Amino acid sequence: MFCSAIRNILRNSLNAAENRAITSQIRNLRGQQTRHEIEVLASPSISSKDDDKKKESAEHKGSKEVALDFRNREAHVPSFNLAAYVNNSSTLQQFISLGVNLHSIERRKGLGDFVLKLDFEKNVKPYITFLVDQGISPDDFARMFTKNPLLFKEDLDDLQTRVDYLKSKRFSDEARQRILTHNPYWLMFSTRRVDRRLGYFQKEFKLSGHDLRLLATREPNVITYNMEHLRKSVFTLKEEMGFNAKELSALVVRKPRLLMISPDDLVERFCYIHQDMGLPHAQIVQCPELLASREFRLRERHEFLKLLGRAQYDPQKDLYISPKTIVEGNNFYFIRNVAKSDLETFDLFLKTR
Amino acid sequence: MALTKVYDAATVFKHMSGILNVYKPAGMKVTHVRNAILSNICKGLNEMEQRKPRQLRENRTLLGTGTAADHVLHNIGEQTDLSDHLLSTGPRYLPRDLSCATVSSLGDHTSGVLLFGINRGTGQSSSIRKNRPVRVYHLIGQLGSATENHLPDSRVTMRSNHRHVSADRISSLAASMQASHQRKMFELCGVDLQTQEAYELACRGLLRPADDSQPVVYGIKLIHFERPHFTLELHAINETQEYLATLVHDMALDLRTVAHCCQLRCVRHAHFDVTDSLLRHAWHLPGIIKNLRQQRDILKAHPQLLRQQRVELQATE
Repeated sequence: MFCSAIRNILRNSLNAAENRAITSQIRNLRGQQTRHEIEVLASPSISSKDDDKKKESAEHKGSKEVALDFRNREAHVPSFNLAAYVNNSSTLQQFISLGVNLHSIERRKGLGDFVLKLDFEKNVKPYITFLVDQGISPDDFARMFTKNPLLFKEDLDDLQTRVDYLKSKRFSDEARQRILTHNPYWLMFSTRRVDRRLGYFQKEFKLSGHDLRLLATREPNVITYNMEHLRKSVFTLKEEMGFNAKELSALVVRKPRLLMISPDDLVERFCYIHQDMGLPHAQIVQCPELLASREFRLRERHEFLKLLGRAQYDPQKDLYISPKTIVEGNNFYFIRNVAKSDLETFDLFLKTR
Repeated sequence: MALTKVYDAATVFKHMSGILNVYKPAGMKVTHVRNAILSNICKGLNEMEQRKPRQLRENRTLLGTGTAADHVLHNIGEQTDLSDHLLSTGPRYLPRDLSCATVSSLGDHTSGVLLFGINRGTGQSSSIRKNRPVRVYHLIGQLGSATENHLPDSRVTMRSNHRHVSADRISSLAASMQASHQRKMFELCGVDLQTQEAYELACRGLLRPADDSQPVVYGIKLIHFERPHFTLELHAINETQEYLATLVHDMALDLRTVAHCCQLRCVRHAHFDVTDSLLRHAWHLPGIIKNLRQQRDILKAHPQLLRQQRVELQATE
């Protein structure tokens, strides 16, 4: 009885503390917002709502003495998504006009809070100018910020150092642009960490500097991928499938994406290619696209070719079909140009599987 | 009625209901097929023309002059509600907006006709399920090796010779099995096969089980034999993948050899045929809409699929 009473009291006090924290946060928010709005007034970009904003801000000023302002109620109500704050926050409005997908940001933990607290002029603009200086086209900003809004947390000097590191490693301008646009997380990694990663790749696959740069440019995501997963994939390729060191490096440079595919899928595909289609390792290295294509797709197409009697992958003999063409293009392209048959036959064939 | 092109997602969504006939590939779970179909529908819908974001009407006092220009001023006063913008709300259609129910499930290794009821079609799908229509299977068995669960993906447990097995021996076994299954159905009804009652019962049509607990086989036929593979055509109600695989295994034991089932394919489910089922590369919005329309025609041609509540057709157990 007594215990429960104490517990109740404790809970109440906790709640009260939480409430206090929330209200103070909200007040902060309100303060920031009013500031934003005043700043927005100065910028000529949003002009349609000017007089409106004036009125609102005047209202806010008037209500500063009052502890709780119930007039614009939405701003106080805690919400599950950013959409509730969009009409009041100029930062979010700017993000939308950039094309950033707020909906996918808020699904990740903590990012919604972070984005809401950003001030466009102060926290975002310098980063945009920085990215423009790196030669990244404005069309890619939306995708980059959607993927990684935490970029705004990094120090600008750090970012500059990281770009300079890439420059010092003789990545060309285009390569750097490609890396930054295709992997928005790259800039989050410290120079030391990126260096370690690049070192790992160079040592593991015995790559020359040129090949390493090619690999990093072709698939920048590989460099910053989960290390555990990378080790597992390398093990699968080397030990389970039995590619030797030379073949492995050729494979990885040609198709770095293989390292990011789940090892189980990779083994399944390899088994089908090697055992059922009968392609030797050398030929698989020649066209790594085979390993990157899903198993059912390979199976459908190979078995259809086999049915037509055209599954002949030996370049020494007649009627050779390059394995690369099997996985290229959509079904229609494959049937017309590789199998030289028609779609109805293919459909009928698939319905006997 | 003339066909018109539709660009509007809401119109498509409104008409997105009915029975869908999908060709399930072997080795893919039914839930995966369902998720793929639903996400493809949503992807298609989200690529179509969307509803514009709402307009925000602010309470502002405009100088009303009482003339014709008034509503123009009001229009200027309006502005888009950004909280309803696609980038802040996310895609308009999500897979969970569609309701979807399978008519009856297929095992993982089984390929073939799989029926889905989508949106308002879920009611139709449940009434089809309650009517217990016959499903037709093509089973391919491989003689010579038995596996642990009678399916090709598990360990081989036994090997044996199958030189003595010929097509007519398989067919005669199939015929005798069919006869014994038919007799079992009448016995479950409590009627002797050699009586007037049994004759009258048989005249009324197919004897169906009352609930979905017991698998009932109506016909087994050998349709193709090419050593070591043989193909059976099987008509059944309430069957499962395991039951069919075991049936093939038992048949082989009766033939004094062993076999496992290397392919199970459902070629017909009631009047829904494999010929107009939707293949994996056609699982996109236009294909799905077209398929829904075809199945609607089939349902219209065979209304008994939906309402068939004749009690005498169901055996009491």
